[in-house]
Amino acid sequence: MSAVRLAAVEDDGRPGGWRPNVDARTARLESAVGAVLEPRRERLADADRVTIVPDAHYPFHPSTGVVTDPAVVGAVAAWLDRELETGLAVVGRSDDRIAFDRTTSYLGYDRLADRFDAALVDLADVPTRNEYRAAEGRSVALSVPEPLLESTVIVVPSLRPTEEGTAAGAVRTLGRLVTSGADSTRTAVAATRAIDPELAVLDGVVAYGDDPVATNVVLSGNGPAVDAVATSLLGRDVDADGALSPLLSDAERPVAVENSDEVDLSAIRERLAGGRLPPADDTHPAVSSAYRLYAAASGDAVPPQLEGQ
Amino acid sequence: MLSQFRGRSTDPKPLSIGVLGVGNIGMVHLKSALAMPDVEVLAAADAVPENRDRAERAGVDRTYDDYAALLATEEIDAAIVALPPFLHAEAVERAAEYGIDVFVEKPLARSTEEADRMLETAQREGIAVGVDHTLRYQPDMVGVKSAYEEGGVGHVPYASITRLNDGPLGRPPAETAPPSWPLDPNAVGGGSLLELGVHCFDVLEWLFGELEVRDATMGRTLEIPVEDAATVLLRAPETGTTITLHCGSYQWEELPEVNTRLRLEGITGTITNQDHLPENFYADAARAALENVASRVGGERTVFGPTFYLRAHYDALADFCEAIRANEEPPVSGPDGRRSLALAETAYDLAAETAEEELEVPEVGP
Repeated sequence: MSAVRLAAVEDDGRPGGWRPNVDARTARLESAVGAVLEPRRERLADADRVTIVPDAHYPFHPSTGVVTDPAVVGAVAAWLDRELETGLAVVGRSDDRIAFDRTTSYLGYDRLADRFDAALVDLADVPTRNEYRAAEGRSVALSVPEPLLESTVIVVPSLRPTEEGTAAGAVRTLGRLVTSGADSTRTAVAATRAIDPELAVLDGVVAYGDDPVATNVVLSGNGPAVDAVATSLLGRDVDADGALSPLLSDAERPVAVENSDEVDLSAIRERLAGGRLPPADDTHPAVSSAYRLYAAASGDAVPPQLEGQ
Repeated sequence: MLSQFRGRSTDPKPLSIGVLGVGNIGMVHLKSALAMPDVEVLAAADAVPENRDRAERAGVDRTYDDYAALLATEEIDAAIVALPPFLHAEAVERAAEYGIDVFVEKPLARSTEEADRMLETAQREGIAVGVDHTLRYQPDMVGVKSAYEEGGVGHVPYASITRLNDGPLGRPPAETAPPSWPLDPNAVGGGSLLELGVHCFDVLEWLFGELEVRDATMGRTLEIPVEDAATVLLRAPETGTTITLHCGSYQWEELPEVNTRLRLEGITGTITNQDHLPENFYADAARAALENVASRVGGERTVFGPTFYLRAHYDALADFCEAIRANEEPPVSGPDGRRSLALAETAYDLAAETAEEELEVPEVGP
């Protein structure tokens, strides 16, 4: 059985709602984040350099829960800086939608990097190493950015569903940072095995189900175990998740949650269960289909937003 | 001034048009023009190959990768300028060289200074300038104006308008690369206030007459180079109305829902644009669809029938074309577009003053 440690974010007696000041949010999170990092103090103390991997796939507003709140990363960085004086890097990867430096700039990571003397590293621009790991009984060839192999990695995923409907999680956050010819599920499995992160710290301060929810928890543990809890909180079946099943051995199941009495996990699960990201189209798919049908029948123009979908 | 326009009222030929820029809004204009009676789209230009392909699929015979080449080559009466704002002035000045009237996407320019240069050139060369301020063409806004002018709520001491969308960064899931120019103050001249607020200024002056900006504040929900939220306090001296305007590019938008709210608080009640929107988009779309299908066997057809906000773009362009044919000043003219810019600039100035005051650290004794 593996265990995940939970810490509730303390109610500081101030009015609820989102606080735009990242330093204020970071300060509020430091106690909870410190509580979930403390059990790994010794192992983290051995690290020359810690690489933090947030879910920073796109500059969506962190109050929505669809990206990691930079304040959670800030609280992790603050603890590592204060307690261990470890060298820090925050990493992500440019893709064909947006450059990593643009995402980090918009999300406010520049200031955070200055504060903790952390490097912001675009993994699209660093040397990679070829690695081969098994996934679904076959070997997967990966090109893995060297910082993920040569430093101690802490993944800080968000608590949200992916477009495909799985939990975003640590495993898939890592999978997005490597390149491979395999499908995304096998890539995520192989990437997790190759990178072997020291720890996952789940940002469950604001989660996204069908909408944002202030769930006010952080959880830490091994990546797949944390993802199993996130999957459960999102109302999904761990066994149905092709990436998690092979990464969680029978001996590691079920995943226990330490300090689970700090919050009402059932209430969180009930609130988030079955939630999905908004539909991919600008317009609801049913509207798009109906409009195209209408346009074909009437000869009216089709709005550009509804073309080619 | 109107005498400077080239007369076409007796010209039986269709109005020939070129579309400069066929991104999203340019495609709306292109499709509108293609569907318009007595209008002929001769060509379109766009630097992006995919956009040119899209224009060709929509029915344009000739496309150019450079709008200047289109203007130099094609014999057109009018050009729709749907390029990014940093190219508006250059495109209008180039069109003026050939005596081509222009219908310019908002904001007219990046600043009043740039607009002045553009409008001076237009006047000197005798071309007409129209601006695509479409809120006043939306049926809900027309309904508000009609109810207000009928005196339905008496005096209106207070009004509010809100316009929100999700801006260039969009909403999840992230699928396409967001363009960088809408977040570049050098390319646009500002953020939400120039993207959305200018529409609000235009519709408010259309309702209440000339406005005065009393105060403003700008906000950023992300660390982006331009504001994605703006709040402006206005006064309409003619009607004695105090108005708050809020616009922002921070709210996820899922069409057909569009977050535009206008409320007029009068002595005897409230006029709101929500009362003049279809109660049910789908039912209204179905009605428009049936009417349009029926019109194929005779009757008047609408374009973009089920989507009132796109139909407003059609109507705005149709009005511009009609004015050009009649040798009249466009109903939403260059000076109208400049006026919205001037209000935005005043708001920016006042917001900057407020921000400076907030930054001043008061002296506190030991």
